[in-house]
Parts: sequence; C-alpha cells; structure tokens
Amino acid sequence: MPELGREVIVFDGGMGSELERLGLRGVPEELNVTAAEQIRSIHRAYACADVITTNTFGLNRVKYRGAYPIRELALRAIENARCAGKKVFFDIGPTGAMMEPLGPLSFDQAYEAFEELARIAGGEADGFIVETFSDLYEIKACLLALKENADKPIYATMTFDQSGRTLTGSSPEIVACTLSGLGADALGVNCSLGPKELLPVVERLLRVSDKPVIVQPNRGLPVLEGDKTVYKLSAEEFEAYAETMLKMGVSVIGGCCGTTPEFIRRLSRFSGQPVRRPEVRAQTQVCSATVLTEIEGVKVCGERLNPTGKKRLKQALLDGDYDYLADEALKQQNAGADLLDLNVGLPQLDEPRVMREAVKRVQEYSDLPIQIDSSDPAAIESGVRYCNGIPLINSVNGEEEVMARVFPIARKYGAVVLGLAMDKDGVPRTAKGRCEIARRIIERAAEYGIPKHRIMIDTLVVTASAEQALVRETLEALRLVRALGVKTALGVSNVSFGLPNRALLNRTFLAMAMTCGLNMPILNPLDGEMMGAVKAHAVLSGEDENAEGYIEAYKDFLPGAVSAPPGTKRTQEKSAATLYDCVKQGLKNHAAELCEAELMEKDPLTVVNDVLIRALQEVGDLYEKGRLFLPQLVSAAEAAKAAFAVVSSRLPKDAPSKGKVVLATVRGDVHDIGKNIVKVVLESYGYRVIDLGKDVPAEKVVEAWREHRPVSVGLSALMTTTVKGMEETIRALREAGCDAAICVGGAVLNAETARRIGADHYTRDALEYARLLDTLFPSA
Amino acid sequence: MSSSELKRRIYYYLGFRRVGASRETDEQIGMRLEELQRIAQFRCLYRCFEDRPAFLQKPPYERFLKGCGGVILSVTTLGAAVDRRIKQLGRTDMLGAVVLDACASAYLEEQADLYEQAIRPGLTPRFCPGYGGSTVEDLRPIFALLRPEKIGVSLNESCFMLPAKSMAGVLGIRNEEETQ
Repeated sequence: MPELGREVIVFDGGMGSELERLGLRGVPEELNVTAAEQIRSIHRAYACADVITTNTFGLNRVKYRGAYPIRELALRAIENARCAGKKVFFDIGPTGAMMEPLGPLSFDQAYEAFEELARIAGGEADGFIVETFSDLYEIKACLLALKENADKPIYATMTFDQSGRTLTGSSPEIVACTLSGLGADALGVNCSLGPKELLPVVERLLRVSDKPVIVQPNRGLPVLEGDKTVYKLSAEEFEAYAETMLKMGVSVIGGCCGTTPEFIRRLSRFSGQPVRRPEVRAQTQVCSATVLTEIEGVKVCGERLNPTGKKRLKQALLDGDYDYLADEALKQQNAGADLLDLNVGLPQLDEPRVMREAVKRVQEYSDLPIQIDSSDPAAIESGVRYCNGIPLINSVNGEEEVMARVFPIARKYGAVVLGLAMDKDGVPRTAKGRCEIARRIIERAAEYGIPKHRIMIDTLVVTASAEQALVRETLEALRLVRALGVKTALGVSNVSFGLPNRALLNRTFLAMAMTCGLNMPILNPLDGEMMGAVKAHAVLSGEDENAEGYIEAYKDFLPGAVSAPPGTKRTQEKSAATLYDCVKQGLKNHAAELCEAELMEKDPLTVVNDVLIRALQEVGDLYEKGRLFLPQLVSAAEAAKAAFAVVSSRLPKDAPSKGKVVLATVRGDVHDIGKNIVKVVLESYGYRVIDLGKDVPAEKVVEAWREHRPVSVGLSALMTTTVKGMEETIRALREAGCDAAICVGGAVLNAETARRIGADHYTRDALEYARLLDTLFPSA
Repeated sequence: MSSSELKRRIYYYLGFRRVGASRETDEQIGMRLEELQRIAQFRCLYRCFEDRPAFLQKPPYERFLKGCGGVILSVTTLGAAVDRRIKQLGRTDMLGAVVLDACASAYLEEQADLYEQAIRPGLTPRFCPGYGGSTVEDLRPIFALLRPEKIGVSLNESCFMLPAKSMAGVLGIRNEEETQ
C-alpha cells in the first residue's frame, strides 16, 4: 500500500450497486455469511484498489437487530475481504439513530456500539474506514472508541449536502478541525453528492486540514427512473474529476454509491503517484458542532458561567438546575460572545459529573464553542469528552505535574490549552519571567505532541490597587508571548479590584491590552461598554474592514441614550406608559423598568394583585373571546413574567407563594412547544414551574413530585402513541400516593380521554390551566 | 403556494381565526421567515411504487387513492437546525419560538408542495399518516421503504419523526383517464 500523505492511495467502490447487480437481497451484512462467495467475488473485482473495505456498513448493535452475532458477521466480513489480497479496512457507518439532544441515542450508547466493533476488528483488520457520518457528535464517539480500544489507522469521512454542510450543520472547516483533533489519520468526505458537486467541499477541506484528505464521491447525482435510483455519470467523467481532485491535493480517492469495479480500475492508475499538497497554515481554533471560532484578532470569551462570586449560579449548580446555565449561556451568546468559559468548581460537588451534565446542557442550547475551566484533571477530561467539537482547556501552568496531568488529555481530544504564565513559585514579577514560563509550556506541550497553535498563554492580570507597577509587566508580557507565535488571553476585570468605578478601569485596561496583542479577553459580554470597546478596537486596528461590524452594531445609536439590551431593535419598539399597558401589549423589554417605577408607589403585593393579575385577566378574557391570539397571549405572559421577577425580589422571604407545578412531556414524546407555552403562562401567574423537559420517563415525574410536592403535576402529549406513556405516568404517580392535581393537555386529548387515563383534569390550553389552578387553590 | 397563502397558514397555526393580520405579528412573521430561509436545510426523498405497498391496503388510504394507480411516498424535512433554533428561542423569547414554530410548519408544507408536485404531473395532494382515520404507526413501513436516515430524518419508538419539522406523505398517481 502506498504511503499515506506522500503517495496517492486508491480505495474500492460501491458495494450496494454490486449487490444489486448480482441480485443479492436481504440484510447486506448477513450476506457475509449467507452469500460469502458472491461477496468475495465483489471484493476480487475491486482488487485493483490499494484498500478493500469490508461489507459491514450497517453492522452495529444499534442498527443491526438480526439473528447473527455481530462478532461472527464482522470476522467473516474481514475474511471475505482478505480474498482480494490487498489491505483490508473495516467499514463503520453511523448507527442510524438520532443523537442526543435532539434524538434518543446518548453519547455513551454510541460509544459502546463502536467500542464493540473496535474490539472485534482491531486485531484483524489493517485499519478502519469510518464513513457517511452526518453528526459530528456521533463521529466523535466513534473515533474515541476506536482510539481507546484499537491501534490501527483511522480514515474518517462525513457527508455534506449542496449547502456545504453536514446534515447537522457542520461546515468542512469544523469537520476538519474536529476529526484532525481527534486523531484521524486521514479525513474527508464521502457519498453525499457526485464528484463535481463535491469540489467546493473538497477545496475547503484541503485549505484547512492538516491531515491527508480522502474523497469517495457517489457516481454523480442519482436520477429516478420508475421506482429505481440510477446513476448516470460515466467512468471517464468520474476519472477526470478524480484527477482534478488529486491535482488539488487529495491523498486518498475511491468511490461510493453507484460506482463499480470499472470506475476503480480507472482510478488505479493514480495509485502511488506523489501527493501534491500545498502547505496548510496552522490556526488556533476551537469549535462547536456549528460554530468555529478562530482565535485571530480579538475574540471574546464569556466569563459568566463561573460560580466564583456568583450566588445565583452557585445555587443553581447545587440544585442541579442546569437550565439556569443554559439561560446564562444564551444570554452571553446573544450579547456577542465568541466562546464560553464553563467552570463548575464547588467543593460540595462531584465536579466531573457536574461538568459532564453542564457541558451537555449548555451545548444543547448554545451554539458557541466551550472553554472547559477546572483545576481537576478528571473534571477537565469529563468536560472535554462530552463536548461536541473542539474545546479550549483552561488551564495548565508552568508546574511540571500539572502539565503532566493535563497535556495527555488535550492531546487525546485535540483540545487547545490555555497556559497560565506562572508556576509553583507564583507569578513572576517581570514580563520576561512570564514569557520564560510560556516558552517552557510550549516546549513541554510539543513533547506531548501538541503543536504550538494549540497553545494559548494567559499573561495574568494583577490588581492595580495592590501591584500597580506590575500592570505594565502583564501588558509587556503580551507582546513577548505573541512574539513566540502563540495567541494570548487575559481575565481583564481582575485589574480593578478594590478601586472605585471599576468599569472605567476595566475598559481602559482592555483597550491597552488589545493594543499590546491580547487575543482573547475573558469578560462579561453583557457589559455593553466592554463589548463596545472590543468593537471600537476592531475598527481602529483595521480588523473590522470598512467598520462594517461597528456600523451594524451602532447604526441606531442615540447619544445619551441608555444602552439597550443587545439584540433589541429599538426602531420597532413600541412603548407603554404603565405596567398595566405594558403587560397588556406584551412589551417584555419594558416590563422590568416599569415595574420598578410602580414599586416606588405601591407595595409588591398590590402590584401583583392590582396590576399584573388584572392585566393578565384582561388579556385572558380577550383570548377566550377570540379577540387576542396565541402570540399576544405569550407576549403578555412573558412581560408579566419579567415583572414578576422584579416583584418577587421585593417580597418578604416568607410571603405566600402560589406553589409549585411540575411539568413534563411524557416518555416517547418529543414535542415540547405546547408545554413550554404552559410554563411561561403559569410563571406569569406566579407559580413556580419545575420543568422536566420532554421524553420524560414516569419514574422521573414521580421523583420530582416527591422532591417538590407541587400543587399540580401537568403532563403533555401530542399524539395517540404517547397517550399510553401518559397513562403509565399517571398510574405511577397514583401508586406513589400523589395528591397533587394531575392535569393533562395536548393535541390528541380531550376531557373523555383524560378521565379514561386517570387524570384529575383536562385543560384545553395554557390559560385554562392557569385559571383552573387559581380556582383550585384560591388561598394561594 | 403564494406568499399570502403561506401567511394565511401561519396565522392559522398561530390560532388566529376569522381575523386578519396584526402589525406586531406580521413583523414577527417577517423576521422569522427571513431567519428560516437562512437556517433551514430543506431535504427530500421520494420513491415511486407501481404496486402499492401493503400498508396502503386499508380504508383511509384506499378511499384517498381512489382513481389512482401507483403511489409516491415522500419524506421531507427542514433539518435539525430549525428544531434547535425553536428550542433556543423557547428559553429566551417564547413569542419568537411560537412564531418560528408556526412559520416552519407552513414553510415545510410549502417547500414539500413545490418539490412533490414537480416530480410528475397528475399527483394527488399529500396524505400524511395520522390524518383522518389513519395512524402514525404507518410511518414505520414508509421509513423501512425509503430509509430517510440518509436525509437526516429518523423515527423514534412512538413514531415521532426527528427532526420534528419533517413530513412523510403518500401521493397517488392518478390514472390517465382520471387526469384528463
């Protein structure tokens, strides 16, 4: 076999079309046993290739539910492929199940399915070809399983559609960054489209991938003739496109759907030719499944997901209220952060477990890459493992033991590492001293196989009030470290501790640091002034060409105006004079402000009873009469909710609350928008909602009832198939002795069904539910 | 579908009855439709069957397919990004989530109509399992025949399609004499 990366390697072609030609029906993987000779004849026909792939695409325990043991099919498949006398790569396709959070398949379940294959094939095959994946998270699980349970080359390819993204929205750059980081030996694209349509994707992969690129296109776009899919591209045309791709720098070429031995015979003339690959500029970058953040110019890392000094976040972590983390993540994303720091370090917590849950919940909602921030290597590994894409690790420092614990993790998961310019003797007083430590960190990383572009250095902010002279050293260190060829970071707001008007110092220091080469300030993105300084710097440094970004951000700027929350379009905002009108008109951005004004004159309970409840009452009446509709009801509820948040902070701690409500969409059901509307409306009525989410098993609802003792449990189901899940949940609640009002709702339900499955009440919509609860519990 | 028809459907999904537009809702719808054009990845898959698959040999389908010979089965989707965005908005902007949800449903239908009716002339409208008298369990044979995992759509154990903004339909091919 030619040498990967230096000489062109040719893979074999399509299996499906050959099976069809031979008239072989049934589960393709079982044919390895039931029609071994025919499968071998196909492999032999492909012997002109350098690598033969096994007939095992759909063979994994999630997808294959047939009668044969997976081990037997896998081993027979390898044995069959051996007959061609060429290298044999074990073929792994996706599980076919949708991954969490959208689907039911967990990361661990996917990992286990691939682990099984790694253990069986790792000793037998010459390598693995991981192909046709469309979900970045699933292919990450697969690569980890292969790395951890086998020691063979891995070639990994994903499919892209005409928009240049995978089915789950990952760009070629994200795919290259992630697969390379996870240690694929070659990476690229297969299936999807024909060679012509794939050219733009191939070009983008070649531009960024530091690993050899593999391409296995389909035989053009399929055409439907009668009830058959046929491919029409000729072998000559296919060969011509292959030649173009090789000229562009592709290292490994083969065929996918519709290609036949004739196609591969034509490609085989390229085997062993030198690979012409232009040099790729290494970049410091992190990514999520859909967002790639290149640390170039200035990129903002949001600091708010760190419990230090944040009481509310601390409480959320202790309570396991990960939704709060998701909200904070989204706020920072909407405010313009480029990545998010995530720190869950509290002494009372099992940090690795909490980190895993926090990473999963944050990436379920936020699109941004994550910086895993911990001093506990186990927590770091847990966070990095479950993170979709390539994260940043915060942090190591110049201490040998720390580097020895963290670098192997960074290397395995391809993470970028933030190194603090300090060691066991503390923070050096001079810029030179800090730069020396940075140099040591870079050198040590290289020994672990971590290239320089995966290292960033924090030159460490000191407090101006305590060590005024050292502020200059921090800034100077930025210059020195940048000269080493790595990017820099600083937690800027530490500079102002102990001094008045901290915001002014922070902003000024940020501007100075950016001028000295700071790439990644870690700051609070909700601070409009700090974000403004970053935007202004981008104009003045020339990074924001033609000041486009700046103009977009400030085009509606009015001198002297209080800065509006990011993302609000001032021009479209209506305004209301009173809180009552504000709720009625559903203007949630003004609700808090008007509520404050109202509270200057009235006591909190009066505001609730005379203003909020009355306004909601009126909106509700209009809704019931068909004069207002769902969007208006939801807007009013959101405005009321925003006002309630202000009022409740003023109510005495022991003030009577309206009680808790546990809400869930039942097991098997994944539609939760109706349930979410109920949540907002109930909250606007002053109930505290414990939202268990969707696809919730009965046990979890029972557990929540036990823990929270709500006044009501609300269950939602959209379709007939899930009413059964609802019935089971109600039965489980009854058996546990639940005395809360069990209310059900959802498209397929009515009062009759509700009675039949044992619910206490059926409510048609969110408003009816809220009003029912107010009638049932008037004293509350 | 004309843009006014698209809007009509969106308003219908938002629960508006016998009432025209409201300015605020119009603004929201405009904004969300714009967003959809950006994030939706419309994908589709179909297969023609000269002989009707066995699951269609039941009253609701037989009634619907009266005067038809073969059938087309189709699966269409807007992709995972739309589901994700609706979910995201559900945390920060419930109004946005509700409006985007309605827009996405109407938009998917519009795209699917355009796509399916271009396959060939003489097709019936789309009948989706779960419509009058049929059951969503009939999605299983459709998924077995079409394998829409290829376009990123899967079916869970309760016969929900994932992503949620996906549709599976049966379209009858009208016999020639019927078409004329």
